[in-house]
Amino acid sequence: MMENEYLKKKRILIVDDEQELLDMVVSILEENGFFNVRTAGNVKEAVTIADEFCPELAVLDVMLPDGDGFSLMKQLKSKADYPVLFLTACGEEEDKFKGFGLGADDYVVKPFLPKELIFRIMAILRRSYKEENPLVKLKDSEVDFERAEVIKNGEHIALTAKEFTLLSVLCRNAGRIVTIDVLCEAAWGDNPYGYENSLMAHVRRIREKIEKNPSKPVSLITVKGLGYKLVIEENRNE
Amino acid sequence: MKSILKLIRRFTGILLVSSILIIILNIVVAAKIASKQTGGRSPWTTAVETAEGLQKTENGYILSEDRMEELKRENIWAIYIDNDTHKVLWHTENLPAEIPMEYSISEIAFLTRGYVKDYPTFTGGAEGGLVVLGYPKDRYWKEMYPSWDYDFIAHLPRTILAMVGCNIALIFLIYVVTNAGLLKSVRPIAEGIQALPTGNPVHVRERGVLSDLASKVNQTSQVLQSQKYQLKKKETARANWIAGVSHDIRTPLSMVMGYAGQLEQDSHLTEKERNKAGAILKQSKRIKNLINDLNLASKLEYNMQPVKTSKENAVALVRQVVVDFINMDIENCYPIKWLTEDTFGRCIVSADKELLKRAVCNLIQNCINHNEEGCTIYVSVTEEQGKCVICVEDDGIGVSDEQIKKLNHAPHYMVCDENITTQRHGLGLLIVKQVMVSHKGETIIGHSSYGGFGVKLVLPVEPTVS
Repeated sequence: MMENEYLKKKRILIVDDEQELLDMVVSILEENGFFNVRTAGNVKEAVTIADEFCPELAVLDVMLPDGDGFSLMKQLKSKADYPVLFLTACGEEEDKFKGFGLGADDYVVKPFLPKELIFRIMAILRRSYKEENPLVKLKDSEVDFERAEVIKNGEHIALTAKEFTLLSVLCRNAGRIVTIDVLCEAAWGDNPYGYENSLMAHVRRIREKIEKNPSKPVSLITVKGLGYKLVIEENRNE
Repeated sequence: MKSILKLIRRFTGILLVSSILIIILNIVVAAKIASKQTGGRSPWTTAVETAEGLQKTENGYILSEDRMEELKRENIWAIYIDNDTHKVLWHTENLPAEIPMEYSISEIAFLTRGYVKDYPTFTGGAEGGLVVLGYPKDRYWKEMYPSWDYDFIAHLPRTILAMVGCNIALIFLIYVVTNAGLLKSVRPIAEGIQALPTGNPVHVRERGVLSDLASKVNQTSQVLQSQKYQLKKKETARANWIAGVSHDIRTPLSMVMGYAGQLEQDSHLTEKERNKAGAILKQSKRIKNLINDLNLASKLEYNMQPVKTSKENAVALVRQVVVDFINMDIENCYPIKWLTEDTFGRCIVSADKELLKRAVCNLIQNCINHNEEGCTIYVSVTEEQGKCVICVEDDGIGVSDEQIKKLNHAPHYMVCDENITTQRHGLGLLIVKQVMVSHKGETIIGHSSYGGFGVKLVLPVEPTVS
């Protein structure tokens, strides 16, 4: 995760009424390189700290002694817009939907694995704070999402709108399989059935742009029957 | 309401049939009694026959022997009145002394219609005169005065029918009027009883002749409502208790998992120590899964989990679950083979997306949990005879026929109302079954064609508009 070092400098505010849990989350974050972390045990304290600390990410519990996390999120976001992750024991669907409905970026139900929390925090930060030079390195090329083009052997090749959409989804889930259905939905909307052949055609054209040998792809890999996986060079170094 | 109408129809039918039967019975009985009491032949016939049997001879008038015998036997006296002189020219020996021996025309007219000295008399025309029979005083009651208009007699059958009809209608009317009150009381009670099985509260007005019955119906409804409320309260309390415990366990378990996770990664610790931390983490994950399952299973069991169905593509849904598992990096030990045909891209079912995903997820997780040595998991979605079949199988250790029978038919300990001492198994399959029940689907547990364990989820396919 070396390429994401800049994200670890982000200011993170954690709000939970359990001091021991706060200590643990701080230790997990510090162990993973986050050193700009502040904590609060209730809504009042959280608002005060947020005013002076200006967090770039807030990790909130839903049930707090002097209020609830949902209204705290509204309060915090009214002053500055930054991503919010809920870390709570309230695992009901309604709570999740309420959180997402109010604009939360993620919702993690306790208990959680330290790794999972770090991955989710990193994913939110990556989405919210892009690097100045957001070039995605592949085996035989680089993708510049700012300019919507591929750079291969010094040559700049423009991406079409659909190719850009598909590559963005694949890149957000780099190293993971993305199903045919998710890709079709991203490119063609809510009723994506019947676009499988079009998807294949677009994937072929993307490969022609990013791969050295499109018939033997190494970056955009087909997982038969399921979907596609984009392999990014940095991931290999992790 | 149907039963009330049926009741009215039956009552009316019985009433009509019984009315007609009573009339017929009365006529038959009256006829029988009349024929018995009048004792065979009519006195008028006897009089005519006696007149015919009277012969004029040189020695006077003679009545045939058999006629005479009959008159004696019946204690009947007889006289013969001459047409010209109006005098009695012949009489039987038993003629009472008070009987006159000469009659005027008006007396003859009177005796024809009525009596002579209180003896009921009957006449028969004989040659040159009139034969009069006098019966014992208490034998007949004579009434010769009535006479009927010809039209009345001509229309008598119709008149009788009309009267019978009117009588029946009148009886029916009286029945309806007198029973209307009863029926009015019965109807709300019948409606109340019919409404009881719906489970809704029932209240019947307690008045009329059947107010006691109405009161009992109301009491029954109250008892049912109270039981329903208590049961719901109990179930809600149980589900809430489980939800509460699950909630309260989450935070402390987070700390156990968090620190155990950190220790497992801590390079300063020895491998043995890290393994111990790993074991704590592994068991904590089991507890986490258990509380998640327990919460959902209890909610599904007590109908507290809202099932929000919409049209979902089962192929896409299952494919996403499979990809999520592969992305979780378990492929080293648990490779998943996607066996759905590439050409089969859509199978629309009416389902709660999250619940159906959870069911498939549980099946795959089941394969992993029960095959610690690793196994290959085979997942497919097919359409067979209008049903969507989601199949999750493995080539792992599998289970015995007896266990499969138990899994298919024996209730899970969580929903079993008997004490059980047999080994308890996890909640994963229970949730799968509950989800399928809430989706009107079917869970078929069996052996896998690859040698391990296999489960088929069968759901009705939604018709699609092309």
